[in-house]
Amino acid sequence: MTVKYNHVTDDVVKKLVNICGEKYVTTSEPLRHSYMARGIMGLEAVLPEAIVRPENAQQVSEILVVANENLIPVTPAAGGLSGGFALPAIEPGGIYMDMTRMNRLQVDVENRVMIVEPGLKSGDAWRIFKTKYPEWAPPIPDGAPPAATVLGDAIERGFSLVTGVYGPQADMIMGLEVVLPSGKIFRTGSWALDGAKPYYRWGPGPNPDGLFLGSQGSMGIITKAAIKLIPHPHFKTVVAYGGKNWDDIIIPTWEVSKHEMGIAEHTVMVQGGNWPLVMTRWPKSNVPVDYDFYKKIGISEYWMNYEIWAWTEEELEYTKKRIDEIYKSYEVKANTECPQWKLHPRQIASRLKKPNKIAISYSLWEAGFLFITWYTPWLESARMMEEYCAKMEEYGFPPTMWVASIDHGRQAIVMPILCFDSTEPGIYDKIREFNLETTRSFLKKGWLNYSPDPFVHAPETFARTPEYYDMLVKFRKVLDPNLILHPGRLAIPWEAVTDLPNPIKDGN
Amino acid sequence: MTSLEELREINARCIHCRACQYAYSGEPDREGETEDYTGMLQGCPAGIYFEWEGYFNSGKQWMARAWLNGEMEASKELLEVVEACTTCGMCETQCPNYIDTVHVTEELRAAIIEAGIEPLSKHKAIAERVRREDMRNPYNEPRKERTAWYDGTPDESGKKVAYFVGCTGAYRQQHVAERTASILKKVGIDFTVLSGEVCCGSPLLRTGQKDAFELVMEENLELFKDYDLLVFSCAGCYKTFRNDYPRISGKPLPFKLRHTVELIYDLIQEGKLNIKKKYAKKVTWHDPCHSVRHVGIAIEKEILANSDNWLMDSRKAEKAKEEHYEIPRVVLKNIPGLDLHEMYRIKGDSFCCGAGGGVKSQYPDMALATSKERLREAASTGAEILMTSCPFCITNFQDGVKALKKEEEETGVKQPGSDLKVVELLEVLDELLE
Repeated sequence: MTVKYNHVTDDVVKKLVNICGEKYVTTSEPLRHSYMARGIMGLEAVLPEAIVRPENAQQVSEILVVANENLIPVTPAAGGLSGGFALPAIEPGGIYMDMTRMNRLQVDVENRVMIVEPGLKSGDAWRIFKTKYPEWAPPIPDGAPPAATVLGDAIERGFSLVTGVYGPQADMIMGLEVVLPSGKIFRTGSWALDGAKPYYRWGPGPNPDGLFLGSQGSMGIITKAAIKLIPHPHFKTVVAYGGKNWDDIIIPTWEVSKHEMGIAEHTVMVQGGNWPLVMTRWPKSNVPVDYDFYKKIGISEYWMNYEIWAWTEEELEYTKKRIDEIYKSYEVKANTECPQWKLHPRQIASRLKKPNKIAISYSLWEAGFLFITWYTPWLESARMMEEYCAKMEEYGFPPTMWVASIDHGRQAIVMPILCFDSTEPGIYDKIREFNLETTRSFLKKGWLNYSPDPFVHAPETFARTPEYYDMLVKFRKVLDPNLILHPGRLAIPWEAVTDLPNPIKDGN
Repeated sequence: MTSLEELREINARCIHCRACQYAYSGEPDREGETEDYTGMLQGCPAGIYFEWEGYFNSGKQWMARAWLNGEMEASKELLEVVEACTTCGMCETQCPNYIDTVHVTEELRAAIIEAGIEPLSKHKAIAERVRREDMRNPYNEPRKERTAWYDGTPDESGKKVAYFVGCTGAYRQQHVAERTASILKKVGIDFTVLSGEVCCGSPLLRTGQKDAFELVMEENLELFKDYDLLVFSCAGCYKTFRNDYPRISGKPLPFKLRHTVELIYDLIQEGKLNIKKKYAKKVTWHDPCHSVRHVGIAIEKEILANSDNWLMDSRKAEKAKEEHYEIPRVVLKNIPGLDLHEMYRIKGDSFCCGAGGGVKSQYPDMALATSKERLREAASTGAEILMTSCPFCITNFQDGVKALKKEEEETGVKQPGSDLKVVELLEVLDELLE
């Protein structure tokens, strides 16, 4: 299944100009380079041939019709996918659809839902809610910079500021408006019925949402999403506990979370890591690199933060007290020490600030970093992090590790932050080797990547799930027969992203 | 750092997060007085005007990366995109990776020109005039008239303090030069002005014309090398001497230097100056990017450059930067009767007037649009006076006010900002000091 795409011609550019207007189409070489990125969530990028900035779903539809007629690949993207953003990954670069003009927000507090367009940024959503709907909060990505988009996070099934309770961001979706590569526009859930509100995700029939979530725009382009609002109580704090090893923070967190009701309801964001998580936010040449220094300033080798939201001071205090009791009980049972980290009010305020720029500065260490994200069952995450950290050190990377609870500790999102010198020759090959080795080991254990690299994680995973991949390819062909949408995380077309044998026997 | 290549590792820190597009990107919860001015706000003049990613710093960093990696050829088209930036440094304030965004932009401009692309027409004309020995200024004025504004005797010997007037003070806003000289006399500073002074080179460095810049930098450094202190009234000249001369020449400055507003601040802090006359007006203050933000950032980065532990020292460095941002505010608060109403975007997050970086000459429409946006923000405070201390800000704001008035006449619709009076702080200080 080798697809031969065409280049963007002058005739195609004219058609794009007719759709969006001259002001919103460019083939300028400098401007095309200005969209590039390598790092944070992906390392591969191919220069697009034309950039187009549609204003609405109708224009998106018309662009896709032109792309289909001319067999030109299309990559949609807006502000950011928890920091990075999608770029063409295979040749030729084709049309890059910059969705930032589509940045509208509608809020329906009665039905507790907001409708967002792809370009709506987290910082803007947060500001609007703070001033107009202070009793509600938009589930924006946590830790992502303010220019990351709400929809980018949602369609990636990312984590939000309440993921500890509500699950991955995709679980918050109540309906989608999708433009298919054929140009057809349709809506999912109750929203499919003309005039209906997006109040029931599963109506009117089987819900196809899942095909569009996690595919990074590879099955269709999402032009609107209805996303649940969350209540926003204003009694908040963060408590943190340290430990001597990963188990010391993973097991007590499971105890806090597993009952789901009670204190688990209030621990909206549970996330932790190890001491290099602090160190690698600074330049390698301008910060102490031994743990002794971090110990002296009160940083535990491992720790877990619990962000607590409550309706009353009493509720807040009770939650803190119960978490403390759970840790004390665990200390006795495991014969270990898990001291509470006495956070300065400024540290608490910094952790409560949404959105924030906390994730950006890992580039300071050596001018390059990559988030690699995996899902594991919560209690298996300690083992995964141990193995990951050892392998990072073996490859010469600092063992910077972050972990968060998803849906009351049902799953862990485990995220090594690979800090590297992006100017070092051969570094990307080294990262690829590291990724391949860890991916092969982790897949055998049943752990899954959350935002798979299209050239490493995706083919390695789908090579082990041939029936699933077969079905995925069939769905893709129904929705996008000419495969004009970029491969995203799906490894479709297979030969464009890997030399591994195609898991579908006849390759079709 | 004197070339783009030397900035390769700094540029490589960019992950394209786009935080640099916003004022208050780290304070999305920031409370403003109105819904228009609250939370994080777009803060890049070029990005706001042209809208494409390449006009924002976030896009420019990746254009610079493409250039460094040999993925993009020099072209006029590239230079036109890169030159459309006021080099205000708002982006630099936002970057958690401490990327020297303005240096990267300026060095990219220089690299394109060094690769054989002609400077843009207006920029080229500026350099040609500055290169001429009989001019040495961008305004096409004779060099011999440089000190014509001065009622004292230039080139007085035996002085240890010199007032660097700058081309705008010497040829276009002589009243500011006169006021500054008057202030210096009133506060008892024994100074001289030098007829041999030449353009500081700021417009040349900003627009990537480094050869011409180095020529005037060397002349000025030689001319002023025996002075103890240089005093400035021009924010651009001050920033260029303070930040760029040591960086480009590779040598520490042989003299101390202070902007006149800073000098007044020093005297107030030392208890040597007490302003008694009243200025009973409702005022809002615009931070000139050069003398406030750029110097603040430089103070912060100078501390970090000497630190082997940024984790511990970054807060100290930030505090020093913030203290610098307070200087004009301390001066304003010491003026009796002055009723200061701050705009929303201030200090490191201040929105540029739109004139800098060669934009006023080459992209006048963008300069005017930016000026009008800032004037609207100033008007939202309810102030009657928009005060600042930079000749370019003053000129561009005055042009903005004129444009708003014209729009009013044409449409019959009241334009916020059209009633503002644009005032140079140094003029007010001269009136108030006895």
